[in-house]
Amino acid sequence: MIEVRGLCVAYGAGRRRVEALSQVDLEVGAGEFVAVVGPSGCGKSTLLFVLDGLVRPSAGTVKIAGEEVRGIRRDVALILQDAGLLPWKTVQQNAELTLRIQGRKANVKDVLEQLGLAGFERRYPGELSEGMRRRVGIARALALHPRVLLMDEPMANLDSITRERIQNLILELWYRLEFTAVLVTHDIEEAVFLGQRVVVLGPRPGKVVEVLENPGMGEPEYRDTAEFRERVHHLRELLVGSAA
Amino acid sequence: MKRVAQYLLAALVVLLVWEGVSLGFLAVRGRIVIPTPRAAIEAGLERFPELAAAFGASAMRFLLALLIAFALGLPLGLTVGFEPTLYQLFSPLIYLTYPIPPVALLVFLMVAFGLGETLKIVVITMALFFQVVVAAQGAARSIPRTYVTAVRSAGATRWQLYRHVVIPATLPGVLTAARVSVGLGITMVYIVETKLGAVGGPGSGLGRFIEYYSFSGELSLAGVVGLSLMGLMFYALLELLDRWLCRWKHLEGPGGA
Ligand SMILES: Nc1ncnc2c1ncn2[C@@H]1O[C@H](COP(=O)(O)OP(=O)(O)OP(=O)(O)O)[C@@H](O)[C@H]1O
Ligand SMILES: [Mg+2]
Repeated sequence: MIEVRGLCVAYGAGRRRVEALSQVDLEVGAGEFVAVVGPSGCGKSTLLFVLDGLVRPSAGTVKIAGEEVRGIRRDVALILQDAGLLPWKTVQQNAELTLRIQGRKANVKDVLEQLGLAGFERRYPGELSEGMRRRVGIARALALHPRVLLMDEPMANLDSITRERIQNLILELWYRLEFTAVLVTHDIEEAVFLGQRVVVLGPRPGKVVEVLENPGMGEPEYRDTAEFRERVHHLRELLVGSAA
Repeated sequence: MKRVAQYLLAALVVLLVWEGVSLGFLAVRGRIVIPTPRAAIEAGLERFPELAAAFGASAMRFLLALLIAFALGLPLGLTVGFEPTLYQLFSPLIYLTYPIPPVALLVFLMVAFGLGETLKIVVITMALFFQVVVAAQGAARSIPRTYVTAVRSAGATRWQLYRHVVIPATLPGVLTAARVSVGLGITMVYIVETKLGAVGGPGSGLGRFIEYYSFSGELSLAGVVGLSLMGLMFYALLELLDRWLCRWKHLEGPGGA
């Protein structure tokens, strides 16, 4: 579904040039759930921006469903870090935003209901809890019925109860809707719990330093197994070691 | 309603202080230096039709200038603030022209616009225009990137970007700037009415009213009260506009962003 070859991304020019990603190769099959972890500033968000068509690569190729990515695609949805809600729009308007901009029919009633946001349609983001705001961000993406769902730390800075709830929600949606998922996170346990494969990026400029196969993902008891703890331990050594 | 009560209380305080100062002068100097509020209000009511006409004329002048300043200044300020290439091109120009008081260019303006009403409107508009441009530009420059990304990620066109992000994001800042510049606008109204071109009768504006009746302290002060009420009126109007258009800014409780 997703095919990334030799991807390099740089911001700015001249002396202010920052290399964010360098020679990234990545393949994600249709319906697969891939988690991407890496130290802060290594280019995780940038990778998603490229997949979403927001940022142009400076080298390499990026294909989705066999076509080179040249701009925003209707079958790809991105959940932004901090949800990216517009504070002057209500829950419903925020959820409908992408559909409206694309001139598509906007019906978000079902999606809001599924995410437990029924009754809050006319509230503003400033009136919601952080967990609800994240769910509005998820609703906006799901309303597009995407084939590819890109998620930029959708659970970051949430309390542990809300975080687990949203993790379960995302899993359930993925089982049911069968989209291809790329989840960026800096939480190692979350990556190992959710990713069928965990892609580890090294410090900036990010490149893939390891890909961990993780077949047991998603099972509620997985968190309590020795296998889970071993993988988490391994990744922690890798990441904390590489950041030092 | 609470707001209205606050304004009434403030008016009461002003009247009391005024009365105090007026009586204080009377006691020290042994004659009337500043007429009492009561005397001023009575004098104003005696000439009410004239005072009302002056109020209307000044308010129309200010309103017209404010609307033109917004119609021209908002698009310019927002695009210059939001588009980096336009910013590099135009912002030095704005900061070079911003400090020039329009009155300094009076000679040229008189030649260009004559001595009539147009000149008055142009001078007030120029003063307000730069306030609007600078405020809009500043607000557009500080729009958080994530709002822009959210809308760009939906595939928005330029116009959609302005409609969904740039305009609503800058509205609170722009309206605040408008409220702040009410004071400047009213100063300009006074200046153009008393110093510019053909002067009319006392009903042609509050500034002119105050000047025309400078021999009568009571009537002059009645004109000043008129100016103050006019300022208050526009201030309140802009605040209502803010509460209506920026509802999301005025949410209850600590969650209100
Ligand atoms: N618009 C930009 N202009 C210039 N540099 C940028 C821009 N966006 C990101 N960068 C730089 O590119 C690098 C990668 O940024 P990115 O946001 O992709 O990292 P990240 O891995 O998502 O970080 P975090 O975990 O903190 O979210 C950083 O060093 C950042 O400073
Ligand atoms: Mg990031």
